Amino acid sequence: MIDALAYVVIALAGVATIWGLVTAVANKPPGKAQLLFAAGVEGVTVVQSIIAAAKLAAGFRPVELATTIGYLIGIVILIPIAWFWANAERNRFSGIVLAVAALGVLAMTLRLLVLWAPAG
Amino acid sequence: MTRVPIEPMGSTVRKTNSGAGRVLVAVYGIFALAATARAGVQLLTKFEQAPLAYLLSALAGVIYIVATITLARGTRASRRLALIAIIIELVGVVSVGTLSVLNPEAFPRATVWSSYGIGYGFVPLVLPILGLAWLWRTRPVNPQ
Repeated sequence: MIDALAYVVIALAGVATIWGLVTAVANKPPGKAQLLFAAGVEGVTVVQSIIAAAKLAAGFRPVELATTIGYLIGIVILIPIAWFWANAERNRFSGIVLAVAALGVLAMTLRLLVLWAPAG
Repeated sequence: MTRVPIEPMGSTVRKTNSGAGRVLVAVYGIFALAATARAGVQLLTKFEQAPLAYLLSALAGVIYIVATITLARGTRASRRLALIAIIIELVGVVSVGTLSVLNPEAFPRATVWSSYGIGYGFVPLVLPILGLAWLWRTRPVNPQ
């Protein structure tokens, strides 16, 4: 994991959350730009998890290894599932579904920042 | 998920997996993932430290999985299962929440339901109430 990249993920996920809520309030399904943005958030999140996996493979050991691995897997699966679920029935609630997933990624990345400390 | 249930004549079923229900399913899905993963880690790596708390974590995970799937299916049979799961969930979060506040020694390690789900922004306490409200909103109506 790279801290700076975590902050990027948090910022992007925050924007995706707000964007999802905005289209819901406007009573519109998510637009193309919004869906591409969500894909972009997912891309950065995947890069983050791959870097973290490489560091773990290279011997880095956080205090709670199993929990950390769980979070690294969790952050990359939320947006793809939400993407599918949001597009299967497109209306204002699709945006909230994307917002919920992005908020999940945001919260889990915040938690990862704490978890990513070397075991003493 | 798109299977159309066979309904008795003259009744309509408002689906639990449509409209706002899709958001409910999404939130339940995240909690299914979070609670199950958490319980899995706890049971595999440190079961002996707090068996009761960790088994409750696992129960919470199973309940969330059942609620997610049954609400997402939205058939008449799955509504019944969803109702049972969500009632257990409500009883679980209220009783574990109360016990963990009154008697913290009984729950030395956190579960999703500890202190009414404080670690998850109290969403675990609100979620079953929303779930029951949604089942009520979408209840089958038999016209006279």
